[in-house]
Amino acid sequence: MFAYVVRRVLATIPVMGLVALFVFSLLYLAPGDPAAVIAGDQATPQDVERIRASLGLDRSYLVRFGEWFFRILQGDLGLSIFTNLPVTTMIAQRIEPTLSLMILTLILAISIAVPMGVIAAWKQGTLIDRAVMGFAVLGFSVPVFVVGYVLAYIFALELDWLPVQGYTPFARGFFPWLQNLILPSIALGGVYIALIARITRATMLEVLQQDYIRTARAKGANQSSILFVHALKNAAVPIVTVIGIGIALLIGGAVVTESVFAIPGLGRLTVDAILRRDYPVIQGVVLLFSFVYVLVNLAIDLAYTLFDPRIRY
Amino acid sequence: MDRRTFLASTGLATSAALLSAPALSQGAAARTLRFVPQANLANFDPIWGTQYVVRNAAAAVWDTLYGINDELVPQPQMVEGETLSADSLTWNFRLRPGLLFHDGAPVLAKDVVASITRWMPRDPMGQMILAIQDELVAVDDRNFRWKLKRPYPKLKYALGKSATPCCFIMPERIAATGNTTMITEYVGSGPMVFKRDEWVPGARSVFEKFARYVPREGTASWMAGPKRILVDRLEWVVMPDPATAAAALQNGEVDWWENPISDLVPLLRRNRNIAVDIADPLGNIGSFRMNHLHAPFNNKKVRQAVMTALSQEDYMRALVGDDTALWSVLGGYFTPGTSSYTEAGGEALKAKNIARGRQMLAESGYANEPVICLVAQDQPITKAQGDVTADLLRRLGMNVDFVATDWGTVGQRRAMRNPPAQGGWSMFHTWHAGADTVNPAAYNALRANGEGAWFGWPNVPSVEAGVTEWFDAPNDGAEKLALDKINREAVDNVVYAPTGFFKSYQAWRRNVTGIQKGPLPFFWGVAKS
Repeated sequence: MFAYVVRRVLATIPVMGLVALFVFSLLYLAPGDPAAVIAGDQATPQDVERIRASLGLDRSYLVRFGEWFFRILQGDLGLSIFTNLPVTTMIAQRIEPTLSLMILTLILAISIAVPMGVIAAWKQGTLIDRAVMGFAVLGFSVPVFVVGYVLAYIFALELDWLPVQGYTPFARGFFPWLQNLILPSIALGGVYIALIARITRATMLEVLQQDYIRTARAKGANQSSILFVHALKNAAVPIVTVIGIGIALLIGGAVVTESVFAIPGLGRLTVDAILRRDYPVIQGVVLLFSFVYVLVNLAIDLAYTLFDPRIRY
Repeated sequence: MDRRTFLASTGLATSAALLSAPALSQGAAARTLRFVPQANLANFDPIWGTQYVVRNAAAAVWDTLYGINDELVPQPQMVEGETLSADSLTWNFRLRPGLLFHDGAPVLAKDVVASITRWMPRDPMGQMILAIQDELVAVDDRNFRWKLKRPYPKLKYALGKSATPCCFIMPERIAATGNTTMITEYVGSGPMVFKRDEWVPGARSVFEKFARYVPREGTASWMAGPKRILVDRLEWVVMPDPATAAAALQNGEVDWWENPISDLVPLLRRNRNIAVDIADPLGNIGSFRMNHLHAPFNNKKVRQAVMTALSQEDYMRALVGDDTALWSVLGGYFTPGTSSYTEAGGEALKAKNIARGRQMLAESGYANEPVICLVAQDQPITKAQGDVTADLLRRLGMNVDFVATDWGTVGQRRAMRNPPAQGGWSMFHTWHAGADTVNPAAYNALRANGEGAWFGWPNVPSVEAGVTEWFDAPNDGAEKLALDKINREAVDNVVYAPTGFFKSYQAWRRNVTGIQKGPLPFFWGVAKS
């Protein structure tokens, strides 16, 4: 097992190298000029050229890639073209809100979606099952920003229970932190809940047909024990897989959610950087997201062994 | 522990946690002004970059030697007074006593000289002054001398204008940074201190009152007069989504929103706690620029045909809506409502005659060359204008290649001088702040000096002659004549096509007072109860 983990961690190195090459090349080939954005609309062509030269954007692909890659190897993501701040500092400033949002959404989604899916499977064909599936379809169909606006209108503007926007760091207290994150988490969690609930239901339906479930019923096990101990544990592998895949959904959704709720997270940092062609920031954030995703996949692979003892690495 | 004891202790613990949650007291909240700026403060060097948002923040942090008031007249600001020699070549300036930088060091003449030296090459007026400069020296701690090779009557205006880049005064060691390198130390000379440790680019910028700032006497008016800060702390909260900003303003989470979009203004007006008014009486001029280097717009007659056909009203309704208090049709290139506005020779701007435009196009020899029309879709102003232009050109019978892209790409492509078929362009859309178009001083878009001109590179010597006459004008009458000439020649040669004059709103909570209408948000004199 330990050897497997080490092998997987080492395997991330070439993967990250390929990601780095891909991201750098894509940005190099993409149209747009950060110098023009920095200079502002009223700048003269000479201003733009001056800024391009000062940023080193007039140098060749190989020179720029070489320099950048060498710095990456030393753990230096470079300086933002626009703010002149280290990219690591900018990521550090923004990582807490995004991490908070994703963790809360994850907790919320799993704690709602898994029981929903289990109950829907248990009550297959009933009104409860249809209601759960209806909710799932709604979760998939309604965009995050629409849910966000509706929630903000009801709970912030009309009821005045929660703030419309912003983020309070965890260090300033749990409740202020939570207050700012409840609405964004619900908005972001909609699709995720729908996805997990559907896959849980489908997998549970399959498992509930198995012989050992019939045996458990025959020996007099109670319903909750059958559902949550015998069935759910055996249905867990595909559910965990989908939860892992859904992390990518969360990363994408965080971009929109952070904009709607004005949360200063990595999603907004990414969008701002893309619009301004702030190459070092885009590269840094994409590398980080890729790394997180690789780690999540590793964690999922390891989690399989907890749910299914037949899986060995 | 039994169930009741557990519930009671849990309840007490929860209440204690809730009570211990930090919250701003009413007094602290009143001393913090929360402002939603037009854009993100991504960098903070007002000389290196010239974005308006940087200038707006910088105006709170760095002071200027002079400042224009709401009549566009430069008033002494950091300067106590000046003398001009009889031959109008030597200016002697004396600084006010008691001026301090935010690190506590006194503002000295050598700091001023270094700041002007960094600013000059970056500013159109500064470049003109630099070209005729004989010497710029600090005489002693409070006096500096500026000798020129020929008179420059608008020197004080250059030092006090609000158009970017402004001549902000920084400590010598910071101003010594080359103007191609971004400064990394933000030691100001103005009424507010920039809190670098709380700066989260893209999200939040924080400024605190500089207690040792010595304001002038008198009444504040735009960049001039006493810059008295009446709050302890100013927080800029960046909100990329206008609907969120509107909701936050209604909910009292922010106090002042610099540029609400017109669609949301009716909603804000319905809230009795919110005031909505024009932000800047100098407004903006919408425009599209044609590429004078390549066909079809290297042909003056084609440019004239397009300008004759266009209806500014169509542009303004697409851009601003039906609120006619916000827009008007232009007969000239300068800012309406100011003394420099003229409609001399400007009949063609108001013609909106599509039939005549078609006829002129037919007579021009237009050979169906494609028109590469760059339209940034991520900027509402350029998108709305681009849609109207595409329709106009098609109705005129032109071959339009509509390139829907983003602002970053337009910014790159418009700098290319290649023919349109080789990655170049034929036209793009933009707009100009009325504060910049008020006269030729900072009006890059109107310059027509070929290679040195703004994108599109118009080459019209008669316009340039008018600009020179304006700079040299000894009095208002001569200035007026020069402005008429510039306008006439610019219209005739279609330096660019103005699409109308429009203003925008600002909105604030009614417990905020002292907000001025002006080309930028002025934070002095603003109080919150």
